[in-house]
Amino acid sequence: MHGVAILGGGTAGWMAAAILARRLGSGFGAIQVIESPEIGTIGVGEATIPPIRLFNQALGIDERDFLRKTQGTIKLGIEFKDWSRLGHDYFHPFGAHGVRLEQVSLHQDWLKLRRLREEGSFEEYSLNTVAARLGRVPDWSTGDDSLSPVFAHAFQFDAGLYAEYLRGYAQARGVARLERKVVNVELRSEDGFIRALHLDDGQRLEADLFIDCSGFRGLLIEGALKTGYEDWTRWLPCDRAVAVPCESAGALTPFTRSTARSAGWQWRIPLQHRIGNGYVYCSRFISDDEAAATLLAHLDGKPLAEPRFLRFTTGRRKKFWNKNCIALGLAAGFLEPLESTSIHLIQRGLTHLLNWFPDRTFAPVVAYEFNRIAINEYERIRDFIILHYKATAREDAPLWSYCRKMAIPDTLAYKIRQFKSSGRVVKYGGDLFVTPNWLAVLMGQEIWPERYDTLVDQRDAAEMHADLRRIRAVIRRTAEAAPRHEEYIVSHGRVEAVESDDARG
Amino acid sequence: MSSTGNRPAQSGEAPADRVHSIAIVGGGAAGWLAAATLARLLRPSFCHIRLIDSQPEEAPAFSEVALPSFHRLNHLLAINEGDLLQKTRGSFKLGAQFLNWGRVGDRYFHTFGSLGAKLDAVPFHHYWIKLQRLGEGADLDAYSTATVAAKQGRFAHPVAERRSVLSLYSYGYHFHAASLAAYLREYAQAHGVTRIDRNVVDVELGGEAGFIDALMLDDGSRIRADLYVDCTGARSPLSRQALNTGYQDWSHWLPCDRMVAVPCADAGPIAAYSESSAERFGWRRRIPLQHGVDSGYVYSSRHVSDDEAAAMLLADLPGNALAEPRLLRLSTGRPTQFWNKNCVALTGSALEPLESTGLHLVQTGITRLVTLFPVGRYSPADIEEYNRLTTIEYERIRDFLILHYKSTQRCDSRFWEHCRQMEIPDTLRIKVELFRRCGRVALLDEEHFGEDSWLALFFGQNIDPQNYDPLADVLDLNEVRTALSRMRTMIQEGVDTLPTHAQYIQEHCLAEPRRLHE
Repeated sequence: MHGVAILGGGTAGWMAAAILARRLGSGFGAIQVIESPEIGTIGVGEATIPPIRLFNQALGIDERDFLRKTQGTIKLGIEFKDWSRLGHDYFHPFGAHGVRLEQVSLHQDWLKLRRLREEGSFEEYSLNTVAARLGRVPDWSTGDDSLSPVFAHAFQFDAGLYAEYLRGYAQARGVARLERKVVNVELRSEDGFIRALHLDDGQRLEADLFIDCSGFRGLLIEGALKTGYEDWTRWLPCDRAVAVPCESAGALTPFTRSTARSAGWQWRIPLQHRIGNGYVYCSRFISDDEAAATLLAHLDGKPLAEPRFLRFTTGRRKKFWNKNCIALGLAAGFLEPLESTSIHLIQRGLTHLLNWFPDRTFAPVVAYEFNRIAINEYERIRDFIILHYKATAREDAPLWSYCRKMAIPDTLAYKIRQFKSSGRVVKYGGDLFVTPNWLAVLMGQEIWPERYDTLVDQRDAAEMHADLRRIRAVIRRTAEAAPRHEEYIVSHGRVEAVESDDARG
Repeated sequence: MSSTGNRPAQSGEAPADRVHSIAIVGGGAAGWLAAATLARLLRPSFCHIRLIDSQPEEAPAFSEVALPSFHRLNHLLAINEGDLLQKTRGSFKLGAQFLNWGRVGDRYFHTFGSLGAKLDAVPFHHYWIKLQRLGEGADLDAYSTATVAAKQGRFAHPVAERRSVLSLYSYGYHFHAASLAAYLREYAQAHGVTRIDRNVVDVELGGEAGFIDALMLDDGSRIRADLYVDCTGARSPLSRQALNTGYQDWSHWLPCDRMVAVPCADAGPIAAYSESSAERFGWRRRIPLQHGVDSGYVYSSRHVSDDEAAAMLLADLPGNALAEPRLLRLSTGRPTQFWNKNCVALTGSALEPLESTGLHLVQTGITRLVTLFPVGRYSPADIEEYNRLTTIEYERIRDFLILHYKSTQRCDSRFWEHCRQMEIPDTLRIKVELFRRCGRVALLDEEHFGEDSWLALFFGQNIDPQNYDPLADVLDLNEVRTALSRMRTMIQEGVDTLPTHAQYIQEHCLAEPRRLHE
């Protein structure tokens, strides 16, 4: 392998550069990132899921340093408002609910007791949810061991700062940065592989492996290689977003909020120095101006920049790896950030790339396997996101009426059908979101099983009551004893000089 | 959902909303394993379990073999391992030795342990391939604690300390089959299972939906249950015969459909592994037990007659035969529905025993039934999920078995010619091609046999990868040499501290000397 060219220097490009710089030796030739200078990044905030910690660990990044440099905050989950119906909300926490009693999942006990109306809310069994609602962050490093499987956290940060942070990391390890634009892509006539990129200064850049991080257009994977795109608009109809940062007001929430609106949904991601906001919407049901007005009418504080618009088509590239090109991030596809999976999908793409790193022969069967694994993971996340739209009772707007009635993928329909029958959650290979996640959203959006697991009837009801009461009490006690999010940030990575008026980008 | 679905209402019974009773048919190790598991997980007041201990038409196998997954059963039933092995004339199993599979004269081990250790997040075997090409790196076996121990006839329980090479393996068991069945029967009966010592003479179906309504026994009595579990092996009188459940035949991939077996004396030290030796029309197996060996010939009845197979078996025994040979029919496929209507078929133990998956499949099958315990008396959604998962599980194991036959270089019989040339499932074909191209193992969902097992088979049957992982070149070659040499040394030094398998049995679980056919 002689040379890796990474096209695009956003989050995807610099994540790729950083991990490749860490893992590849000098025998692989230069790693070069071609980054167009005039494309800025907007600091509207990016929310993540717990595996991001593994990526940072693989790079050897210190978590406190990372939090400081990216204006990062702690994320315990997502609050969903108005999704199943107006005025209703639920929390999708990281980590499981409670602990398993005997051989049956705790939620089955709860489902039984729910019929007796003595159960309390299911959210009371999630440490993350209870803590998040209190604005508190349990300290996992000193926590009670018995609670460790029920607690997990991720971060919210400024993606532009994260990219910058990783750029510094990569450049310190020999990655070259070319502030250039690609004007032409040269293909090999014999097999259509990419041979070289022609840059706007006349330079011709050869490499064996090309990583397309050029964003939604996919300059290499689509522009040059014509890979094709699978459109998922029929399931995920939102096709635009408008984003704006605003000033913080009130306490720093350790969670992301997603509020369903008439033509889509609004995100709210609290950072140390401000709040990132955006409205993801469907242009069939609302104009850009109306969408921007809706967003600006629902901010915590003063907007810190002009609203910025984005267009996209939900779906994925037919292949993520085509010939000698691998697409990452938006070049690979677009899944709206409803479950904060954007960075995770980049991370998974890089994990698969390292697991299946090509040799110079680029055997097609290796690309086949890479695509099989990566596409399957992508589709399992797609199903989870579609569930949020499908499981609604809203009839107040045409978007929601459409979603309520739309046909959904068989894989998702099967999961819902199974859950409705027995309260059990089906597991597929490659599922990122597993039983606790599905339970939170299924029950959060008021899909109730017709029956609970019969095995629960073996247990003594009084004993079960006592167990559940005990679990609720332990969780409540632990959450109440935890530090407030602000205190946590101060002790774990506060930015020294907060420049809240720094409206970057 | 209506509580009984389209199941006909039964007279004389209170309308019942869920499964209150289960009848298991077939009393071998499989049936009693199922009964013991259900008895442990379902309280008698919740569900009444009966087992009809019918005499099988064919005598059962002399031995049963357990994979490391059996530890879960030990844990679940709180079985004392020493007691179990003592009463079942059992021995420890580090894996299996395969002879003559790639070519006549070849030998490899498939043991239950890890192969080497990752260096810089790159799997060990890529470094090994690299050193092999330089003519270095020693034999692959030297990097597996389990294999080194097996070859030297040594055994002890793995240690908990993660940094020790003596933690890097697991083990299964070899059991005397009838003793294992008796052991599990005792457990099941002590936990409320009713044993009915009768044969099933007829299966009555009821209503339009054709569910099993009752079993007619040879004393004229009738047994009715909400759910039936068919543990009778290849014939499957409930599922396959009475319910007419379809069957997906895999005999074009897994040609061996019979086994003839005989217990015999063995004067040598007891091995901590079984042996599978490829023969002209199938393969020969040796299962080491305390006080003897179960010797069997697994063959394709299309290529050799029963008499010839028996003669071949008897011509090459390690010691005197201790009983008359027994003939067993094997199943070479799977039911199209493992759970059909109100009957679950646990057919795993009838599948080709090449990788000892019989008890394992019974165990996962019955555990899955509890996990998906029907929420109603008849619950189509639970049945659908059960069948979906079990089908995937079987197909993964099927692929692993097929590869043993497919990746032979033997041409000394029509049997092997067929195997070498047969088409194989796409899932397996891609796996093999990937390994050939880049030395990597692609694992699919629900794969029981993990990377180390596939590697043992790939390397053991001479499938040579064209390339190793390019990332294995990142580490300096001398560091690789040092690291691999250190692994070998640590493993050898670790194994040297272990007692022999015979000593270990002597100290932990020595059985009374009894004859194996008893």
